Amino acid sequence: MNKTSTIAGQALRDMFSAATTWLEKSSADIDALNVFPVPDGDTGTNMMLTMRSTMEEAYRAPDNSASGVARAMAKGALMGARGNSGVILSQIWRGMAQGLDGKESFNTAEMAEALKKSAEVAYKGVSNPVEGTMLTVMKDAAKEAQAQVEKGEEDIIALLEAVVTAAGDSVARTPRLLKVLKDAGVVDAGGQGIYTILEGALRFLKGETELMRLRKPQIIVSDLPLTVPLPQAIGVDEIPFGYCTEFLIKGEKMDSEVIRKRMEKKGESLIVVGDESAVRIHIHTLDPGTVVQFATKLGTLHQVSIRNMDEQHQDFLEMQKERMPTTDTAVIVVASGDGLIDVFGSLGAAAVIPGGQTMNPSTKDILQAVQSVPSENVIILPNNKNIILTAGQVQSLTEKKIKVVPTKTIPQGVVALLAFDYEADFKANAEIMEKALSSVKTIEVTKSVRATRINGLQIKRRQPIGLLDDELIAAGDTDMDVINKILAKINMKQAEVVTIYYGAEVEVEEAEQISASITDKYPKVQVELIKGNQPHYSYILSIE
Amino acid sequence: MAIRIVTDTLADITGDLAAQLGVTVVPLYVRFGEEVYRDRVDITSEDFYRRLVNEPKLPSTTQPTPNDFAEVYKKLSQETDEILVIVVSSKLSGTFQSATQAKDYFKGKARIEIVDSLTVAMAEGLIVVAAAKAVKEGASLEKVAEMARKASSRSHLIAYFDTLKYLAKGGRIGKAKEFLGSMLSVKQILTVKDGEMAPLTRVRSMRAGLDYLYSVVASHQNNIEGLAVEHTTNPEDADVLVERLGAIYPKARILRSIISPVIGTYSGPNAMAVTILEAEKK
Repeated sequence: MNKTSTIAGQALRDMFSAATTWLEKSSADIDALNVFPVPDGDTGTNMMLTMRSTMEEAYRAPDNSASGVARAMAKGALMGARGNSGVILSQIWRGMAQGLDGKESFNTAEMAEALKKSAEVAYKGVSNPVEGTMLTVMKDAAKEAQAQVEKGEEDIIALLEAVVTAAGDSVARTPRLLKVLKDAGVVDAGGQGIYTILEGALRFLKGETELMRLRKPQIIVSDLPLTVPLPQAIGVDEIPFGYCTEFLIKGEKMDSEVIRKRMEKKGESLIVVGDESAVRIHIHTLDPGTVVQFATKLGTLHQVSIRNMDEQHQDFLEMQKERMPTTDTAVIVVASGDGLIDVFGSLGAAAVIPGGQTMNPSTKDILQAVQSVPSENVIILPNNKNIILTAGQVQSLTEKKIKVVPTKTIPQGVVALLAFDYEADFKANAEIMEKALSSVKTIEVTKSVRATRINGLQIKRRQPIGLLDDELIAAGDTDMDVINKILAKINMKQAEVVTIYYGAEVEVEEAEQISASITDKYPKVQVELIKGNQPHYSYILSIE
Repeated sequence: MAIRIVTDTLADITGDLAAQLGVTVVPLYVRFGEEVYRDRVDITSEDFYRRLVNEPKLPSTTQPTPNDFAEVYKKLSQETDEILVIVVSSKLSGTFQSATQAKDYFKGKARIEIVDSLTVAMAEGLIVVAAAKAVKEGASLEKVAEMARKASSRSHLIAYFDTLKYLAKGGRIGKAKEFLGSMLSVKQILTVKDGEMAPLTRVRSMRAGLDYLYSVVASHQNNIEGLAVEHTTNPEDADVLVERLGAIYPKARILRSIISPVIGTYSGPNAMAVTILEAEKK
């Protein structure tokens, strides 16, 4: 391969022009990564627009010296900087211009110096530099350039190649440095942008213009698996995790897809990224030996890392602990029916104790749930009058602070949980939640277990009966009949939202009919239908 | 020469009030696809919300460029040698960054103090109002800047969000993400805490939301220096709230504003906010 030992202004301009076009192709993909740091719109689009302005100015440079072009670029970047990422990018060009000041052209050493200056100026530009962002990527890129120069590298293409790889690795590492990225399972968008620009410049210098027309930049995949927060304590059982195995293969004409297929069966969490000359592998495997053996046939291995994940898992558990609660109060609820359990879970209940009508949980069941949550302050919503006393017993068995908000029905439990105030303290919250109970009326529809006479109602066995706020007040021929009778007794003018939770034995069509009929009768009310899947009660209605 | 105050459009200080206070407002940008508009300059709030609801693709936003601020500094420096800049929370926008960088590029003589309000909307706006008052009373640049920085902890934003869709999509959800994923349709009450969005509580209807907003203001009764009510697409609801608040605070002193397009990009339609500047403890 021909060696490129110096670059003058013309080539500097052309390589970053090509890089801008390259970036443009993936700006939407980069936008999709956007989670942090100071999210200001779409990182990809912002960087692309900033680069456009940068390059427009580059063509207005007074001369073709590297110094002149770089200065023009810095000016264009400053003028057109968009978004946070654009601003930092403009700092990078500013640093570049400082590094190349007075130079007609530059060699590898001068380029490394300019990159170093870029990183320094970029850091300086940010009041509160955060690692795991484009700053880190730029710094790592500059560091690699320096390392290459120290190694005696005189070919600019070779230097840039190493810099691009280092930038790519740095991007892949961003989720390790920044929790928000890890939580979202993405790499830093700005870092990806920097990588893409450098990669575009490199490809241009390598003469891959045709290929750049046809292909699209690759988004670096985070080398950490996406972790979903688990509500319950995990790791109680010893699960073998095996070894987290990572390395880079350098070779020729490698095909990531083929490698991926070959690797797929060797483990889990497989990530294969790279191009035909360098492929990065990440895999969780019980047998790292065979993975490495296979890889050595493809090329040379670099940065090999094999770590025991059982050890890592301990760290992970520690991390889990600190990431969960944003308030020091946990709310736990009693409910049965997977639909209702999901509703409570989705509203932020820290734990759900299975139980309800006819299957009241024991004090021990509730105590266990109390102990399982990471908070010292626990509010219990029994959601049934027969469980309120049991829940009250728990305080004498634990050192945690317990408050029982006496919810007698599921809808009361829901309004109590919704009323939870993130800024209020434990005691105030229990009060706020209890106060909220009066804002809801509950209708429960079930079938009578025997013939009886109660509250002036003559009830046959298996007949649909309805309770309003825990009091039996209606019997009818059908569930709908019962619901209508009870609704007629409520002042529906005050009502805004009716939520219908239908039970495990109810067909969805029937539930939809009931929902539609309520909407018909009370058009101002918003009706919501939820599959509660609760046993015994065909319908539970919440009227707020 | 009097101190001149600069803020951004997110403070929701609109035309008349800005003129009356003598405040210069620097716009952020809102973008629908390829079309870029200066917040409140090239697009009115009314137009914006109409498009927000009707267009399939959500808009996006960007901070002012350093150059935008540098231009303002340059212009003002012909009239004054002291400039106070109060901007939206640096955790919600890079505007603080741009304002700070512009200071480096600005070559004029004026002294410039930049204050990160750590909040947004009229919670930021009420700080600007308080600063303008202090300037009028003749306080020094340092004193006013210090007052503004301290005022941040006295300035509360309580916002009613009909949906979190826009906030989540825009990446600014912060700790309010705990409210995502609800299986019931709920409305969220959010606040700004430590500079970023944070959850307060949830309600199931606008009316319950208004009740909550009212109750927060009521809890500060007799301790209110400034109060503002803002809406997006629903002035009638804001009217109702202001009417009610009239019972605990002089109605004529309640500032009204429309939430700017840039914030509207994240709040979505049917959002409302009350902001309270607590009186300083004597």
